[in-house]
Amino acid sequence: MPTIMTPKNSPSRTELLQGTLDMLILRTLLFGPAHGHQIAKHIQRTTEDVLQVEHGSLYPALHRMERKGWIIAKWEMAKERNRELKYYRLTPAGRKQLVREESRWKQVAAAVATVMAPVRGGPS
Amino acid sequence: MNLWNWLRSRRIRFRERHYRESELDREMEAHLELEAEEQEESGLQPEDAHFAARRAFGNTTIVREDVRAIWSAIWLERFARDVKYAGRSLRKSPGFAVVAVLTLALGIGANTAIFSAIDALMLRPLPFTAADQLVRIYSIQKGMFNTFANPDGPSALDVRDFAQRSRSFQKMVAYDTWAKNVSFGKSAGQPEQMAVGLVPAAYFEILDIRPIIGRLFSEDENQEGKNYVAAISAQLWRNRFDGDPSVLGRKIHINGEAYTIVAVMPDVIPAWVEPGRHSEIWTPFPYSPDMLSESGRGERGYAVLARLKPGVSLEQAQADLSVIAAALAAEHPLDQGVGVAVKRLADSRVGALRPMLYLLMGAVSLILLIACVNLANLLLARNSARQRELAVRAALGAGRGGLVRQLLAETLLLSLIGGAVGFACAEIGLRALARMHPENLPQLGSVGIDWRVLAFTLLVSLVTSLLFGLAPAFMGTRLNLVDALKQGGRSTTSGRSSQRVRSLLVITEMAMCLMLLVGASLLVRSIRRLEGQNLGIRQDHLLRGRIYLPPVRYTSPGVRTRFCDDFATRVRALPGVIEATVTTVYPPNNGWTQMLVIPGHPVTRIQDIPSAQFGVVDQHFLRTLGIPLIRGRDFAESDSTTSPPVALISEEFKRRYFATEDPIGRKIHIGPPQLPGITVEENITDDVDVTIIGVIGDFKNAGLALAPQPQITVLYSQHPLVNGGFKDILIRTASEPHLVESEIRSQLRALDSDMPFAEAQTIDELVERQTGGQRFTTVLLASFAVAGLALAVVGIYGVVSFLVAQRKQEMAVRMALGASRANVLWLVLKHSLELAAIGAGMGLAGAWAAQRLTSGLLFGISPVDPVTFAAGAAFLMVVAGIASAIPGARVMQIDPALALRQD
Repeated sequence: MPTIMTPKNSPSRTELLQGTLDMLILRTLLFGPAHGHQIAKHIQRTTEDVLQVEHGSLYPALHRMERKGWIIAKWEMAKERNRELKYYRLTPAGRKQLVREESRWKQVAAAVATVMAPVRGGPS
Repeated sequence: MNLWNWLRSRRIRFRERHYRESELDREMEAHLELEAEEQEESGLQPEDAHFAARRAFGNTTIVREDVRAIWSAIWLERFARDVKYAGRSLRKSPGFAVVAVLTLALGIGANTAIFSAIDALMLRPLPFTAADQLVRIYSIQKGMFNTFANPDGPSALDVRDFAQRSRSFQKMVAYDTWAKNVSFGKSAGQPEQMAVGLVPAAYFEILDIRPIIGRLFSEDENQEGKNYVAAISAQLWRNRFDGDPSVLGRKIHINGEAYTIVAVMPDVIPAWVEPGRHSEIWTPFPYSPDMLSESGRGERGYAVLARLKPGVSLEQAQADLSVIAAALAAEHPLDQGVGVAVKRLADSRVGALRPMLYLLMGAVSLILLIACVNLANLLLARNSARQRELAVRAALGAGRGGLVRQLLAETLLLSLIGGAVGFACAEIGLRALARMHPENLPQLGSVGIDWRVLAFTLLVSLVTSLLFGLAPAFMGTRLNLVDALKQGGRSTTSGRSSQRVRSLLVITEMAMCLMLLVGASLLVRSIRRLEGQNLGIRQDHLLRGRIYLPPVRYTSPGVRTRFCDDFATRVRALPGVIEATVTTVYPPNNGWTQMLVIPGHPVTRIQDIPSAQFGVVDQHFLRTLGIPLIRGRDFAESDSTTSPPVALISEEFKRRYFATEDPIGRKIHIGPPQLPGITVEENITDDVDVTIIGVIGDFKNAGLALAPQPQITVLYSQHPLVNGGFKDILIRTASEPHLVESEIRSQLRALDSDMPFAEAQTIDELVERQTGGQRFTTVLLASFAVAGLALAVVGIYGVVSFLVAQRKQEMAVRMALGASRANVLWLVLKHSLELAAIGAGMGLAGAWAAQRLTSGLLFGISPVDPVTFAAGAAFLMVVAGIASAIPGARVMQIDPALALRQD
């Protein structure tokens, strides 16, 4: 099971995974503004716990994406809880980035699928 | 100026970072709490839920670090971008960049060089253990022979009593340096006159210096007869003995006597510690019975070194010795009016040059200030010219912070390049300083830039960058967008307040430049007066050489007279030599003061004893030096050992002691009078008095700065008791004096192969050497003044060209309305001349206020000399006029029609 790593480890692998994490976050924010915990939970839920994201690793990613202008952040009152939380939102640039990431992901996934296809039909 | 706003924004920036940190903490905390709540809802105990949340989150510290890394990456990227832009924009205006860098380099370079030198000369700690305990002791004489409170060395007897009675010192030692003939044996080359230090073993013990090889002198060896041992410097050891360890036990000949080398000392004693010249050989200092008999108490002039006991302050030591000196003065008539001064060894390094160094420090700081002002001016002009560009950027969304940052990056880049170039300049400057190498600053030869000065340079370059970088940055970014765009579009005068600031800067620059100009011209005029004085002799083509006749081989006065006469006769016979005389006196200094008994001048107190400069010469003295005979007759060959002794007196002598009567034929006793209860040690107590036979013209005999003192001159052949071993020969030549030097040497060698011909110098060179310190200061100050002037010219040129560019439209309008070109030019000139005039006024006030710095260094000219002040101010005005007329002339070329259509 792949784990999202902190950027310090093995650059080539994390590059892919970092991109993947970015994509997941952008994808999550497509449905509307969310705070860090919601994003983490959403990723966990939607990947049915296959991708176990260390919650903490979200934050460097969020700050980096904020700096690149893909998302913006704002402290807002959470409706259901009586406390202020930092909500992240997609920007137009972030939407464009998501499209780019998705198409790249599709390419990678397709390539991997091609490689892996014969195994599925083989003896188990 | 918008400094306050800027500071506030800085604080916000700082708080922003702090805020970001706490915001991140808050965000993470919220996350953990939410997660914990959720875990609790799914049935965990609160504590377990908390841990589960932490586990799911991962290491918070690493997360925080990663986020921070992203923040600083942003900052670095931004910085790199700013620097890149800055470089690009500087390249776009190379004229500005070059002038700015040179301005900075000059300021920083000059300051680094001077402060390095000053650090080496007077600030750097001495190379001795616990050097702050090392002191020098001087006698201060009041009254007696000279009216000045001259610091002089005490007598050996006083030092003995100081040492015995005081409780402040670990050790105290009197020592001396003598020029002696040294030969290292047949194989080691020519004999040489060298400075030989006469030092008891305690000298090295006080300085805490141990021999590289060998041993220190013993107490025993300070006694006459046991003193034939010598220590040599490591340098001498290497040069003369190839560093051979077997040098110990070898013999060298000093003044014809054999001394055994017992030690090689490390080269750590700076030249200024020793009186007179730098010693490379030391021998013990046997006190002669004369020195330690009561009659020798007045024989002052020994250098005294002492080490304070730990914990004893300089003030305590001074108080201690003052009490003793007062007691000695009460006990011994010869010590009457003699005080004592204790000074730290470190403070005695630069001696009389201290005020000059302070002056240079002040001057070089002015240069730095002018450079700063100039750069501020340049940046200000440039940035207000760029206001439109900045406004456009701001309009396009660049934050105010971004603009300030970019301007800052530009200034920083400029000042760093300037700092680097300045450092190179300092290196060159220091080499030049070392080459000038004034005689009385031997330390200067070894000055180098050290890391502290490097740090100092960098600090200066950074502080200045902030100083001038920020002010313009505010002026430049205090943007009212609409105004700036409007102004730029139809450029009237740019911001009235920045105009005023620039004017103020030019005024300051002018003022400081004038201070430098005035100071430099005062020094130049002073030194020209000092050197251009009439010495009272014919100064040109006069060579001086020194010989020493050691008493071992030249045992009697008769032998010495014969040798001197032989030598002078041989020299006179040389081709190219017009005259020669063996003498102990010649301008500009003499240094032998003699007490006299003059009829009609009865004395009861020791202070009232008549005295005069004294010299022993041969019969060719007047003719060789070209001193006029006013009345009476010159010495003649007929004045011999058998005829009655005769003397020549100077006009000043006559004025002082024979004001109303004719001195010719009068008799004078050379030596002190017999006063009840006073024994005065004197080496001349001739029974026969001298008869005055002539009055001669005054000549400089007390240094260049003082008027000629009373002078009396006698023949050495007639005065065996003052016919000593130290003799100088003066040679008048037909052509370049140094050309005959080798001929003279060979004549001397023919007479005595062991006698060196030492310190051959012309009188001109001697005078020059005396003024070396002043010349050094003058040359430096003059070059600072030139540099300051160049900077000021650049400054005023820049301001006027900017003004012309800015007010082009206005001028065009004026011309269109009928103003003549000359009118318009005058408008420009008037403005800069007004600034220069105000600056000049302030500069004169400044120079007047700074007179304390210069007064001690000037000779024959007032530190507020009106001619110099007026000429300096006038010169500055003319230069300012020219500097502004050149860009001002551009106004004349404005085509009104064209200019008005522009923009």
